[in-house]
Amino acid sequence: MKRFNRYALYEVMAPLVGFAASMALLMLIVVAVGENPGNAVDAIWKMTFATSTRTATVLSTSVPLFLAGLAVAFAFRANIFNIGVEGQYFIGGLVGAMAGIYVPLPAFLHIPFVVLAAMIGGALWAAIPAALKVGRGIHEVITTIMFNNIALALVNYLVNGPMSGLGATGSLEPQTRHILPTALFANIDWLFRAAGWNVPDSVYLDYSLPVAVLAGVLVWFILFRLRIGFDLRAVGTSTDVSLYAGIKVAKVQLGAFLFSGALAGLVGLQEIFAVRGYYTFQIASGLGFDGIAIALIGRNSPVGVAFAALLFAFLRQAGYGLQFFTKVPNSVISVITGLMILIIVVSNELVSRYIKALRKKEAM
Amino acid sequence: MPMNAAAAAPSSGGDPAAGSVLLRMEGITKAFPGVVANDKISLELRAGEVLALVGENGAGKSTLMKILYGLYRPDSGEILVRDRTTRIAGPRDAISQGIGMVHQHFMLIPPFTVLENIVLGSETSRLGVLSYAKPRAAAAKLIELNNLHIDLGASVEHLPVGLQQQVEILKILYRGAEILIFDEPTAVLTPQESDELFKTFRQMRAQGKGIIFISHKLDEVLDIADRITVIRRGKVIRTLDRAEATKPLIAELMVGKPVILNVDNPRLPPGPAVLEVDKLGFVNAEGVAALRDVSFRVRSGEIYGIAGVEGNGQSELIRAIAYRTRISGGSVRLLGADLSGLDVRSRRELGLAHIPEDRHKFGLLLSFSLADNFILGSHYKKPFVSVLRTQVRRQIAENARRLIAQFDVRAPSEQTPAHALSGGNQQKVIIAREMSAKPRLLLANQPTRGVDVGATEFIYKQLVEAKKNGAAVLLVSADLDEVMSLSDRIGVMFKGSIIKEFERESATKEEVGFYMMGEKAR
Amino acid sequence: MHWGTLFDYICKGLDTSAPLAFAALGGVFSEKSGVVNIALEGGMLFSAFSIVWGSIIFHSLWLGLLFAVVIGMAFAAIHAVVTITYKVNQIISGVALNILAEGIARFLSQNIFGQETQSAMNPYSFPSYRGMNVFSLVVIPVAILSWFVLNKTVFGLRLRSVGENPEAADTLGINVTLMRYSGVLISGAMCGLSAAVLYPSRWVSGMTGGRGFIALAAMIFGRWSPIGAVLASLLFGYADAARISFASSIQIPSQFVQMFPYVLAVVVLAGVVGRSRAPAADGVPYEKGED
Repeated sequence: MKRFNRYALYEVMAPLVGFAASMALLMLIVVAVGENPGNAVDAIWKMTFATSTRTATVLSTSVPLFLAGLAVAFAFRANIFNIGVEGQYFIGGLVGAMAGIYVPLPAFLHIPFVVLAAMIGGALWAAIPAALKVGRGIHEVITTIMFNNIALALVNYLVNGPMSGLGATGSLEPQTRHILPTALFANIDWLFRAAGWNVPDSVYLDYSLPVAVLAGVLVWFILFRLRIGFDLRAVGTSTDVSLYAGIKVAKVQLGAFLFSGALAGLVGLQEIFAVRGYYTFQIASGLGFDGIAIALIGRNSPVGVAFAALLFAFLRQAGYGLQFFTKVPNSVISVITGLMILIIVVSNELVSRYIKALRKKEAM
Repeated sequence: MPMNAAAAAPSSGGDPAAGSVLLRMEGITKAFPGVVANDKISLELRAGEVLALVGENGAGKSTLMKILYGLYRPDSGEILVRDRTTRIAGPRDAISQGIGMVHQHFMLIPPFTVLENIVLGSETSRLGVLSYAKPRAAAAKLIELNNLHIDLGASVEHLPVGLQQQVEILKILYRGAEILIFDEPTAVLTPQESDELFKTFRQMRAQGKGIIFISHKLDEVLDIADRITVIRRGKVIRTLDRAEATKPLIAELMVGKPVILNVDNPRLPPGPAVLEVDKLGFVNAEGVAALRDVSFRVRSGEIYGIAGVEGNGQSELIRAIAYRTRISGGSVRLLGADLSGLDVRSRRELGLAHIPEDRHKFGLLLSFSLADNFILGSHYKKPFVSVLRTQVRRQIAENARRLIAQFDVRAPSEQTPAHALSGGNQQKVIIAREMSAKPRLLLANQPTRGVDVGATEFIYKQLVEAKKNGAAVLLVSADLDEVMSLSDRIGVMFKGSIIKEFERESATKEEVGFYMMGEKAR
Repeated sequence: MHWGTLFDYICKGLDTSAPLAFAALGGVFSEKSGVVNIALEGGMLFSAFSIVWGSIIFHSLWLGLLFAVVIGMAFAAIHAVVTITYKVNQIISGVALNILAEGIARFLSQNIFGQETQSAMNPYSFPSYRGMNVFSLVVIPVAILSWFVLNKTVFGLRLRSVGENPEAADTLGINVTLMRYSGVLISGAMCGLSAAVLYPSRWVSGMTGGRGFIALAAMIFGRWSPIGAVLASLLFGYADAARISFASSIQIPSQFVQMFPYVLAVVVLAGVVGRSRAPAADGVPYEKGED
């Protein structure tokens, strides 16, 4: 058993090296901009872990990132590049919001109902690229990117047109009507307080957090405990071998793509049901692309994705810290993120080659 | 007897260059993790001779030739071309030293034309703009001079295998190679095409070129070689002159002990038909009829061998039986059930097992553990799955440990990923998995490709074992000897049809070869 | 319709097509050599910033263009190192580079122009004719030149060979790595050229708006051939120009007009794939045999 732990250790090294290297790069940029690195570290600290409010904010920020990463990772496991998480959460969020606005239900039913609706919406938006991939062999990378753009235009139209709630809400920003109170996500800070962590009310640690945890556990269980997960990982490793073994490759890929879309549908829950209480096409964008990086750094495992999401949340808050307290612009975080991904994937590659050679030696 | 008749023709030619040493390799050593592929190998090639390099799979022949061609760097040792020490750092150096190689897997660019393939890397150009006039004339001359038959304008992907090999030969001749390496060139050819190749060899030999011919088909080696160097476990065992070489002697030198690949393979009274193929037709995506009117039966307790040059529909036939649902005509029945409407899982449920031709591509999930690979295909069934459709890990591990012991798979543990195993052990994993399903029909497609002699013998025994247990075995192999020694009946495939069936007793290599060429069908 | 309007439309369509066409040509070179480059989007964006920045630094649009081409190549070089030398998955590298490009451009814009989301105006510009940046016409000779280079030169033959069967090319002494680097770097240079026709007057954050991806769709639709890729780009470009020119006269919500090119791309891909074939080794890192 000792050996396997050693391999696991090596695998963890790559992201750590990437993180350390990118932090060093960040400091170089800070110096280049003419800022004192000490100030920068202080600014980052203030915005991330200095107070329990800040730490809770990092956790809160990580929730949608985790869900996006999870959606991408699940598809990756079946060798599908779901670059369409972006569009899927816009549509998923919209369908969820519709369920929250137009369907009156008691709260204990309404919350699961909107979650389910969001998942269905996300899955629906994945359906056409999935069908084109499985049925016609069209690579999903291009189609999902196109569907992201189509989704943006579509929700823009719906929020401005048929679903507009402008008169009803009294806001000048285009948005839908307010979501019924029974469907809103309440904070669960009482839970944290009970555990001895004093989380302020202003931080959004709401129902979307347990939803994310449940989704993570579910994905882990599907992938590593269920037979269907074995099928899925087999298809992701080799479609030819799977075909010969009697696995229905097309069905598995279709299912994985749709479920990935369903997971993507959850990404917007926090912002729509806890933060805003209505839907708009101006909800945070770009999470789908972050999800790709997060899945990759987390090596497509739910636990890894959780860590990677926290890392991204940390970076995001660090960016705000730099912006508020120093003269380093926030955009430096995008630069660092991009570089960090590159460094991590390169070191991943080197590490896995090294491990492969070690294993080969061991088997000889 | 065309082979021997041709062999008697020119041997000790009157070429002035004959006899001078073209190439000397001295003390070549090359180690890979866990194995010394070449251990102080020395050999010598003279102008105007064919030097056969024989040895089993994995003996180190290919590694040595890759070193000579600059694809691998030796750990130590020297290469002298025309008595001058040479450093060969890459194919470019090899080519400039007059070394050319026809690889086992052809190195062609399929969508390019023959001429484009020939000039690639040694183009004629003005200011970087390609000019084809001179190359075309030069290639045409080489075609005439060397008994080749190629259309320079044809797209390579549409050429049959034999002609693709000629393109490879043309490529190296075009580069002015004096030292020509052929890595198992006859593996993909019919006996008759091999004869044509040997005619080309003789012509090149008469021109004073030196040829290194890698093979493990001893008849061919005795037919064409002037000298024979035997390699075993990375070492040169002995170099023989043609005059002193005999088949048993070479075979003994190759394996170190007298070869008994004659597995005890008794003929059993045939049982009922398990596989019935009737007038099977298949038109592929390009609109080509890959299978036409294929009809044959495989009965319980027999091995039915398909002989044929690769690419004559064998793969299509196996696919039609193993998984394909769309066929263009006819029927395939397994134990009376029509397969055309059945998915792979239902076919396996009926008793189908399959050793696929390329274990990396079709047989194993390389990054998965051995335990997971052992259950592949029955992973959805009890005892590996519970009522709740979760995997039963204890059963999966136990199954793996049992099969590892029973089939003597050499691996550190059942959790080791499949990619870490040697080729022979990987093949054992597949065979263990397929045999443990207690098949009624076993498809074995190129089951011994790329495995050593020990594993080959093991695999032969397993195939015979399957037959003794009452299974019907359908064997496809490019190695005619393998088909001839294992099969109770033999069907010869040519251009998508089975054009002739033989009983084991009445089949001779010569005659099967003629049918493989399609000669008698015309 | 008035003839003048039609002529305006022809010019406008060329103007909207040209950035796509340059990027699609870049995609052709990269993918013909065997490297998928979805960082075209980021490359275009960063180049679009560079042409403004370069013009202002060097007081010349032409030097600015040269600068943009160099930056486009430098940016593509990262993709080359990561995917060719380190054999990292090409899509992942592309995603990372797209994030990086946005970040760098914003970062530089903040530091140079004091604003994160847009640059200063570029005082230099190409002459325009009926709403068309005349540099757009350059795409025609570049397309013909690309066809010539790929099909009639030694370089092109070798480039295509490593995209089909790198191992075979290697055994013939062709430097696979060098060829693939060349393909990717040329795609970077093409991103630089696209900056000249996208909007050289000012850089705005997010200004490429997915054009790099549309260019990839055009490349696939054009069956990986330079001429085909440019024709497909014209299709997308003219569809887009129709939206701009005629949207006001048709009663459709603007958002539907906005999604039209993307829907068109999906429909076109759904119709064409199966009949077109990517280079055999496209997207597959080359592992030299020895291991």
